[in-house]
Amino acid sequence: MTVFSDALKVSTSGMRAQAERLRYVSENIANADTPGYRRKLVSFEEELGRDQTPGAVSTGPVSLDQTSLDRIYDPTNPLSDESGYFDGSNVNLLIEVADAREASRSYEANLKIFEQVRQMSSALMDLLRK
Amino acid sequence: MQLPSSFAAQSYVANRSATAPGSDPSASSYFSALANDFATTLRQSDETAMAAMLGGTDPHTLVQSLAQTELAVETAVTVRNKVVEAYQELLRMPV
Repeated sequence: MTVFSDALKVSTSGMRAQAERLRYVSENIANADTPGYRRKLVSFEEELGRDQTPGAVSTGPVSLDQTSLDRIYDPTNPLSDESGYFDGSNVNLLIEVADAREASRSYEANLKIFEQVRQMSSALMDLLRK
Repeated sequence: MQLPSSFAAQSYVANRSATAPGSDPSASSYFSALANDFATTLRQSDETAMAAMLGGTDPHTLVQSLAQTELAVETAVTVRNKVVEAYQELLRMPV
């Protein structure tokens, strides 16, 4: 049974990692209009610890996108400097939506694998049932 | 050729030990380990379900451990059915 349960564990870790990624994407979208906000980037890394399942994925440390912030012209804003500009966020909604779509597709792929493993194990048990 | 009935009785007694259940310690320990493993899986899924309801773990862990338990229960039930079936087959044997 260990092969099947390991496969279940690994695909679950994939789903969890993609859900975590979607969480940061939603954070970026929610803060798209926050002045001075830098978009968060999620990294993925393979789990290699002794008590973890080998081959499983988990999200690593979050890093901030270091591209320059948007300069927004709005002299009425209290944050604006002498020239009337202030720093917006560097979130590009198009990129965030594409990222969200990618996370959702990867999630679906892991879900399919999960289903497949369950089907395989129950098909194996069907052999004994005649 | 006429065989004395005592000869038949003697050979029956001599061969009787073959039908006695062997005292193989590895088989019993194997089955007890299997049962323990099964119980641990059930307990783990119970704990995970409880933690998920209390907001302790994420739903992914819950689904994974429930699927794993389903797998274990399915295996156990199938093996038990097979054992019971074999036993009934023995009972039906004409003596």
